[in-house]
Amino acid sequence: MNDREFCEHLDIEAKVLRIWVEQRWLMPREAEAGWLFEEADLARARLIQDLTGPMGVNDNGVDVAMRLLDQIHGLRSRLAELMDAIRSQEPEVQRLILSRVEGE
Amino acid sequence: MTSPYETLGVSRDATLKDIQSAYRKLAKKLHPDLNPGDKGAEDRFKAVSAAYALLSDEEKRGKYDRGEIDETGAETAPRHYYREYASSGDTAGRYENAHGFSDFADADDIFSSFFSRRSGGQQQRRRGRDQHFSMEIGFLDAANGTKTEISLPGGGPALELTIPPGTRDGQTLRLRGKGEPGFNGAPAGDALIDIRVRPHPLFTADGDDVRYEVPISLSEAVLGGKIRVPTIDGAVNVTIPPHSNTGKTLRLKGKGLHKPGGGHGDAYVSLKIVLPQTPDPALSAFVESWAAGKTEDPRKGMGGHA
Repeated sequence: MNDREFCEHLDIEAKVLRIWVEQRWLMPREAEAGWLFEEADLARARLIQDLTGPMGVNDNGVDVAMRLLDQIHGLRSRLAELMDAIRSQEPEVQRLILSRVEGE
Repeated sequence: MTSPYETLGVSRDATLKDIQSAYRKLAKKLHPDLNPGDKGAEDRFKAVSAAYALLSDEEKRGKYDRGEIDETGAETAPRHYYREYASSGDTAGRYENAHGFSDFADADDIFSSFFSRRSGGQQQRRRGRDQHFSMEIGFLDAANGTKTEISLPGGGPALELTIPPGTRDGQTLRLRGKGEPGFNGAPAGDALIDIRVRPHPLFTADGDDVRYEVPISLSEAVLGGKIRVPTIDGAVNVTIPPHSNTGKTLRLKGKGLHKPGGGHGDAYVSLKIVLPQTPDPALSAFVESWAAGKTEDPRKGMGGHA
């Protein structure tokens, strides 16, 4: 969806969207005709709305929250890849790893 | 959009009794029959009635409170939270930030690249833009194909451009990856080259076919015979039948342009009788003595306008 449709979905002004993109809280794809947003961007924008609205987080707080959140998702995907790799090992190897992380 | 609680002016934990009493007060004030001619009152009455219909029904009120239906009673799509997208490949590439985990593995650790691998982070991976250029080529180069060196505006090394046989005027050729560079390791865009084909003095393209005119002598026209005729890929021998007039068109099968899907169009050769460059006394003498030549009227049938 383009920036106009995106703003309509969220009931926000174009000015607000510009700030969010400038802050890099949202990173739309750039096409010839302008910004293009996906469902994921919409979900991310709703999170920003929740933070700034009901949760009362100010802009600096949103900035910190989004950066930490992006790190958490980065970490989660590394961890998921690592778990996939461990699960593909022999049962004995998996047991050894488990016993080490459990501190035995 | 106003919530039904706001419409009725009650709090979210209002009892059914509060809701009924609020509705009654507003209904009395806003009922259209008590406000003849006030369009605004009618709209507000409708909104108040709809809000009351929703909140006075315990089941509907519960659904509204849980966000399963909106204030008009329509079912709302279940919300997709960002975390559902965050782990998908595309989104992860853009927003995910793994810069903070390089300390999980030292540089000489075999896992170091796993933890320090770049992901999207603060800078987006984005394919470079396509760049548009235009270029003029000769008719025969377009028809038969060729390779040419081009240098794109903005510098950079010369690129070899393959013009495929049968390239048409207005066609766009794509040089993959020769557009603007991508960001953060994303592929470059393409260079798109609009081809203009220069007109040829003899050949004219007509779809997949090629049309042109070939002069023949008077003797060839009268007696027929084998003549050499140019085509887009070299001259060929063509037999013209006796008594071939100007405007007679010969089809040379397969001597047209390469078709995009394979095969070739045809060449259509239009014959044109040409008299000798200088007057020939023998020819003049013969035509003088040629009785039928004087009675023949090639303009009959043109009516009185000739």
